[in-house]
Amino acid sequence: MMDGADRGENAAWRVGVDSGGTFTDLCMFDETSDRIMVWKVPSTPDDPSRGIAQGVAQGMCERAGPAAQPAAATTYLGHGTTVATNALITHRGARVGLLVTEGFRDLLEIGRQKRPDLYDLFADKPPILVPRELRFEVPERLLHTGQVLHPLDAEAVRRAARQMRAAGVEAVAICFLYAFVNPAHEQAARRIVEEEMPGAFICASHEIAPEFREFERLSTVVVNAYLGPIMHRYISRLTPRLRDLGLPVAPHLTQSNGGVVRFETAAQTPVRAVLSGPSTGVIAAQAIGTQAGLAHLITFDMGGTSSDVALLSGGAAALTNESTVHGYPIKAPMLDIHTVGAGGGSIARINSGGLLKVGPESAGADPGPVCYGLGATEPTVTDANIVLQVLNPTHLLDGRMEVRRDLAVAAIARMAGQLGMDTMDTAQGIISVVTANMAKAIRVISVQRGHDPRDYALMAFGGAGPLHAVRLAQELDIVTVVIPRNPGILCAMGLLLTDLRADFATTRLLPLEPGQTGAISDAMAQAEAGARSWFETEDIAPEARHATRRIDMRYEGQNYELSIPVPDGAIDAAMLDTLAAAFAAAHQRAYGFTAEQERIFCVTFRAGALGTVRKAALSERPEGGPSAASAVIGARQVWYPETRDFTETTLYARDRLAPGMRFDGPAIVEQMDTTTLVPPGTRARVDRMDNLILEIAP
Amino acid sequence: MSPTVSPLPDPPLPDPITVEVIGAALSSIVEETGEALVRASYSTNIKERRDCSTALFDRTGRTLCQAEHIPVHLGSFLDFIPMLMAAHDAGGLRPGDVFIGNDAYRGGGTHLPDIVLAEPIFVDDTLIAWTVNLAHHADFVDRAHAHIYQEGLRIPPIRLYRGGELQKDVLDLILLNCQVPRERLSDLRAQMAANRVGVQRFQDLCARYGAATVLAASEALLDYAERKMRAGLAALPDGSWRFEDVFDNLDSDQPVPLAVTVTTSGEDIRLDFDAPPQVRSGINMTRTALLATVYYIVKSVVDPSVLPNAGLARPITVTAPEGSILNCSHPAAVNGRVQTCQRVADLILGALAQAAPHRVTACTNSTCTVAQFSGTRSSGPDAGSYWVYLETIGGGGGARPDADGLDGIHVHATNTSNLPIEALELEYPLILERYELVDGSGGTGRFRGGMGMRRVYRATGDCLVHVDVSRNLSRSWGLFGGGEGGHGAFSTSPGAEPFVQGAGRLRAGEWLEIVTPGGGGYGAPGDAAAEASR
Repeated sequence: MMDGADRGENAAWRVGVDSGGTFTDLCMFDETSDRIMVWKVPSTPDDPSRGIAQGVAQGMCERAGPAAQPAAATTYLGHGTTVATNALITHRGARVGLLVTEGFRDLLEIGRQKRPDLYDLFADKPPILVPRELRFEVPERLLHTGQVLHPLDAEAVRRAARQMRAAGVEAVAICFLYAFVNPAHEQAARRIVEEEMPGAFICASHEIAPEFREFERLSTVVVNAYLGPIMHRYISRLTPRLRDLGLPVAPHLTQSNGGVVRFETAAQTPVRAVLSGPSTGVIAAQAIGTQAGLAHLITFDMGGTSSDVALLSGGAAALTNESTVHGYPIKAPMLDIHTVGAGGGSIARINSGGLLKVGPESAGADPGPVCYGLGATEPTVTDANIVLQVLNPTHLLDGRMEVRRDLAVAAIARMAGQLGMDTMDTAQGIISVVTANMAKAIRVISVQRGHDPRDYALMAFGGAGPLHAVRLAQELDIVTVVIPRNPGILCAMGLLLTDLRADFATTRLLPLEPGQTGAISDAMAQAEAGARSWFETEDIAPEARHATRRIDMRYEGQNYELSIPVPDGAIDAAMLDTLAAAFAAAHQRAYGFTAEQERIFCVTFRAGALGTVRKAALSERPEGGPSAASAVIGARQVWYPETRDFTETTLYARDRLAPGMRFDGPAIVEQMDTTTLVPPGTRARVDRMDNLILEIAP
Repeated sequence: MSPTVSPLPDPPLPDPITVEVIGAALSSIVEETGEALVRASYSTNIKERRDCSTALFDRTGRTLCQAEHIPVHLGSFLDFIPMLMAAHDAGGLRPGDVFIGNDAYRGGGTHLPDIVLAEPIFVDDTLIAWTVNLAHHADFVDRAHAHIYQEGLRIPPIRLYRGGELQKDVLDLILLNCQVPRERLSDLRAQMAANRVGVQRFQDLCARYGAATVLAASEALLDYAERKMRAGLAALPDGSWRFEDVFDNLDSDQPVPLAVTVTTSGEDIRLDFDAPPQVRSGINMTRTALLATVYYIVKSVVDPSVLPNAGLARPITVTAPEGSILNCSHPAAVNGRVQTCQRVADLILGALAQAAPHRVTACTNSTCTVAQFSGTRSSGPDAGSYWVYLETIGGGGGARPDADGLDGIHVHATNTSNLPIEALELEYPLILERYELVDGSGGTGRFRGGMGMRRVYRATGDCLVHVDVSRNLSRSWGLFGGGEGGHGAFSTSPGAEPFVQGAGRLRAGEWLEIVTPGGGGYGAPGDAAAEASR
């Protein structure tokens, strides 16, 4: 059961909890009144479940009032966590043992044999997650057809399992060659390990990533085993805490693909949760964009140390099936999110060649930017914004934090002296350089994937996103920028807007030809069967089930596929023609040519399963008059590169802006969790969902 | 041979920030063209092993930006545009012209399988830059290497497309000289597509900033790389250091002695090489291959963050005897020049170790072990056609002043991926039986050298094989008391025909085992103070 029973006249709460390293953000939505409430509590990194449970309990009492019995009235709880990511970054995963095909014990270390950096002789590979003595070779071998060349040596598996048990191994990964074609050997080995190591976390490559290319599959199953016991422990602590609060529903966890699954499912495939955090922001952006009528969006989530960007085409976030996360290749469905080390705290430096560089080093929270007055001397992006007075030059965080513009000016003036430039030009230069770095990240997810950013609107969130959004848009020739109502808690809000989701894949190399119609149909059906059984396991009501299907295709001889959607209907000759035409169009778009005389091959058959949940409705307000005079809270002098001078700039309070209001740049919009810059030449309006829409003059 | 092109207006002097922004855009462009090339390509050597490179050049052929792919490929790029411009009337260049070339003596190449495609970039009818890419075509196999005429088809820079129109007669001539023409055609098409991306993106950049600003910023980026290289060189002590090593290889009976004298003086560095006269085998290297190797290793030691453009070469002077193995002349064979490149890079490390012991590693495995398999398809729709499988196998990295050497990696002038086993066995009549690190192959020391690798193939059909391994007689040296790395070697199943100079034949069921060398250690083993700090 995923949705709570109808609770009649009582409030019915949907709760989103986004747990990060510093803060845990909560977002609550009352289905009966459309109220949305948000709050933040400090995270408890030693045992994150404690902070989450406390935060949920406190917040519910404070915001909803104890009389409302919010816990008992909760119909849904969605949770995003950085537990998996952090364990991978800090290398505090489980003690893992590995079973591989005889002859390939070192494959995990060899990888693709490229060195970690082309020129840096001192660069290191990411640490190997399974030490050599815990990697065991097992006599067995399949051919690429799936035929058995050498049968599995069951006794060797048993011996290895006993050694692993003796060595204190908590999790076992199994990866044999061609298990994605024929999983029989992996399945048999798994049964033996289960017998010998009761209680261990066990996973096999055909279960986690049944796809071609052995190293990437191996890396994925090893990361999964490495994170398995961590995620398992986390969930087994959090579940009773939430139950004790009186929550009557099964909590859900977000995955890297932007969907949510039940805790029990999530515990089996933690490798699918490594982008759990940023994916929810993208999902929230998707929901807001759809409602605002913006189907083509680039999301831009800028925080203190980094920025995450993603592309949504036709209202849907691009998915990738393989990515390198913290140095480890992972084959799992993930939103195509690209991260760059550019944030408000990014440090500006002049390097030995005399050029200005910004980031990826960040000042962090302590000492923070120079303007915090905590002893830092190297200017950051935030300092540049303080000097330009784009940010409030005396106070941040709604007046709660004092800043020292004089220190920031002095730091940037020193840098300007070295560059032989004016101080204000240098401050603006820091913004230009960090903007160029972020533009480069957006080019990776747009132009490099065949999308022209000029066809997209930019949705900016995170603490620093709205500050830099228009400059970034200008760099990319984007003409529309959207700033949602609550840019600082968008991830928690995304948890209330996301559906249950899982992806299934079958790899089979088949030519896209009429003679293969049956085989193609069978392969597609196999992937779809996985989706069907998942609907059953997750107990999703028939009317809430939505299935999608795609086939990854390429020309014969190529090794990289393009993923082509398969329309509904039987797979027959006419369908094959449709698919061939769609593939040719996609190839033309991606590479600029088609090869009519080459055969097209199907490689991976993918089924996506979506269980729609009732989501927080984003309420709309009627538009009022265009005058924004009632939202004006003052004015300040802000320096703009357009005039290379300070210009009197109107300040608006975000919470006083109402739908229908319009105003022109130069303007600054302030709110507790962010500041929005509306430079000269940019026009702003508020839409019916309270989004701020900025239109940039071309 | 400076080309005559119409002059551009005097560029405004861009500020350092515009320069930085345009520099980021140039590196985006070369990375994006590289990705397009890999994804659209057909041969395993490019689509999986990524044995290809992309770059942008100014109108006179100076490197503006090279993607971080394969350092030795820069060698093929260095002279391509100058030679092209020497052979063709600049006034006759048109948008949509695409030049192809590979020759080591007339085409700027370093060996014939590396085929370069270059397309001029025009803005407002003015030639402003070139987009250039190179792909290593796994072809021209089962050849002799007494001189370059035996090594494959020599192609000077000629038009493959003229104003966007394919010159089919040129293409037909090239394909007829290739053993796997279908792959060649498809890979050339991918190279074409990559250049189209490069032209489009560069023109977009010029539309945004103005061509004059882009060119002025490019010029500034060259100066910037030079300044950064000079700043790094100035930090090295002044002096002169000599280092010698031998180059043992399967082609020659005697190990070849090689030596370098590295002299640093203020912000400049000079490298004078000694080498015997060129030989009738494929180990000779062109001057451009030598320069590419020197630029790579000097940048790596002095400052790895220097932009990979022509500016970094300005403080570097290189000499090598003309007609020697390290600076060969027509008609020397050059197919195996990467082996020589690797040894040269380690020679320079050996010399610089005396000047800056904390900036270098001990000797790497010093080679790029190559296994090339070929044969004809025995069944299926392609029966009778050639297949070629090229693999380069990594070895040990040199131990570092503060860490062990990396195990099983590609070093120095090359950096290609392995072919996944699940791709290899699908495409070729081979089964991979073993792929592992070789225990004990890293030189001992306070920090041990990286381990070499063992790769064992079993043929499921008859095939021809050519193996190129080195360090089979010598060993990679350690530094400051560190031990030597393990030997490179290869062997075949009992009963297989013996190989001659690395070339032979496997019959169905027979196996070939290749072992790559390990790297040298750093510091004497058992140094207590150092052990404690580990």
